[in-house]
Amino acid sequence: MASLAETEVREVGAREDVDFDVYSRLAAAERSLAEEIRKSETLARVSEAVASSHDVDACVQVVIDGAREIIGAAFGAFFYNVVDTDGESYALYRLSGASPEAFAAFPNVRKTEVFAPTFNGEGVVRSDDITLDPRYGRNAPRHGMPAGHLPVRSYLAIPVANRQGEILGGLFFGHPEAGRFTARDENLVVGMGAQVAATIDTIKVNADAREELIQRRRAEERLKFALDSGRMGSWDLDVATRAYEASDLCKLNYGRRPEESFGFADLIDTIHPDDRPRILTSIEAAIRDGADYDVEYRVVHPNGDLRWLHARGRAATIADDGGVRRLAGVSLDITGRKRAEERQKLLVNELNHRVKNSLATVQSIAAQTLRSVAAPEFFREAFESRLIALSQTHDLLTRESWEGASLREVIDAEMHAMAGEDRVSFDYENDIRLSPKAAVALGMGVHELATNASKYGALSTPDGRVTVAWTLDRDVLRLTWTEKDGPEVQPPARRGFGVRLLERGLAAELSGAVDLTYDAAGVVCLMALPLRALEPDT
Amino acid sequence: MKTLSALKVLVVEDEALVSMLVEDMLTDLGCTIVGPAAEIEEALRLATSADIDAALLDVNLGGRPIFPVADALRARGVPYAFASGYGEAGISEDHKGASVLQKPFREADLRRVLEGLVSQTA
Repeated sequence: MASLAETEVREVGAREDVDFDVYSRLAAAERSLAEEIRKSETLARVSEAVASSHDVDACVQVVIDGAREIIGAAFGAFFYNVVDTDGESYALYRLSGASPEAFAAFPNVRKTEVFAPTFNGEGVVRSDDITLDPRYGRNAPRHGMPAGHLPVRSYLAIPVANRQGEILGGLFFGHPEAGRFTARDENLVVGMGAQVAATIDTIKVNADAREELIQRRRAEERLKFALDSGRMGSWDLDVATRAYEASDLCKLNYGRRPEESFGFADLIDTIHPDDRPRILTSIEAAIRDGADYDVEYRVVHPNGDLRWLHARGRAATIADDGGVRRLAGVSLDITGRKRAEERQKLLVNELNHRVKNSLATVQSIAAQTLRSVAAPEFFREAFESRLIALSQTHDLLTRESWEGASLREVIDAEMHAMAGEDRVSFDYENDIRLSPKAAVALGMGVHELATNASKYGALSTPDGRVTVAWTLDRDVLRLTWTEKDGPEVQPPARRGFGVRLLERGLAAELSGAVDLTYDAAGVVCLMALPLRALEPDT
Repeated sequence: MKTLSALKVLVVEDEALVSMLVEDMLTDLGCTIVGPAAEIEEALRLATSADIDAALLDVNLGGRPIFPVADALRARGVPYAFASGYGEAGISEDHKGASVLQKPFREADLRRVLEGLVSQTA
């Protein structure tokens, strides 16, 4: 056993010189292996951290820290390819192995001959001593690193480009001693650069997608606001299945509550039967030809309300064969507008009717004035004066939207036109509302009385006066026109237009009686007119 | 064709001045005037019971449509024409086709319409 032990010892001793080399190589290999394992572990850790990054800066920081450790660089940096307004420098960066203050005093990195290959994506720059590189120190004013710059001799710079070839930035490593970076280091860092590029791209795509989602949500909110403020409902029809989706406002337009179901069949049922065939034809045309759908129609709500709707829509999705898959659009309750249009039409018709009736009235005044004047030369004055009397009453009625005028107003207007308003006194308890028709007839009657008075009666002398008095007696207006202090009155030789208008026209139109007497003391006109023929319809 | 002379024409018109004009025209044409009526009730009474050959009806009588009077005349077989500021547009659906005089109208227009009415019953 002892000899064996000795032998073993001796043998070991005998091989000592040889073994020393082997052992030291083995130790070196073990160190190297340990170093490789450490690098691999670092690389794996960095790769994992990079892949799970959600933030570009954090991702970049992990990479430059990790790479600096793996390749044994003193300093590491990442410069983003974000070109300043001068187009020459790169302002944003992350650092490793140096405090930001070490760079803070210097201006931004410029696109010098040393940096250009990196930022132009031309390839890797690896130098055992960058200060000996022919590209180094070529740029004024500093011709090399600024004073106080981190001492860099070993230099490794890698462009970081995405799959589209866009240069995102550059990874830069340095060491104060020369010859520190190997081809293997270069390969490692190039691989990490590719990881950084992929991760930055992914982060950007995610951020873009998130931003787009936010924009879409905002657009949708804006659309909903616009639809709601415009009281517009929105709808969507699947052509093949006839599945119909309606917004709350759209349902409201059809008299449905938001929680009620409302399908395509309900929609068609709600359309007024007279409008239904036209609408179905329009829908079919929009589906068949992809034509815009733009229709107005009546709907009958479940509670019986009749409303007008305006619906617009168009093909929202087109199938590969060119057929329409979905129709989408809006609906709006236009009942108010439709009613206003109907009112407008009614008003225009009514206006036309009034104009035509007024023309017939003027025609009548012209014809009868011509009949009653003694000679054609008196026509013009008589006709014009009657035309103006008619116009006075129209002015009054227009002021009150042709709803009527009061008896006192009508008399005042006519007396004013004859400049006789200060010669007339009134005696009555209550004024009376007159319909437009009654106002025109009485206005013309008063005009005839006043004209006669100013020509032959009380208003033809300075002292003559007129009294207008009325009472209401069992729904009959009893009005008297009494002239006094004028010249002695003679009955006229012929009965003119005025008398005829008063005694026949006015009496017949207002279903009453008018009696004109030529008392020597002055003309007296008695009118007995039923209120129902005078007052406006209520 | 009957002559218009001595034709008894019911006049329904609520505006005094227009009524007077129509009366003058009818008198010039040799017709005899029945009415004029300015109210629906009076017009209906005359349309159903008076001795008349034809009628001229204002479409709108103080805001009330004249059509019940037209119906009464149709039931009796008395020909009638409308006089209206609305023209044809103011005529109700079941009276479309009746003669319409658009106000204002000339005496010759009234004569033509009356001759048309008379020939209907000839």
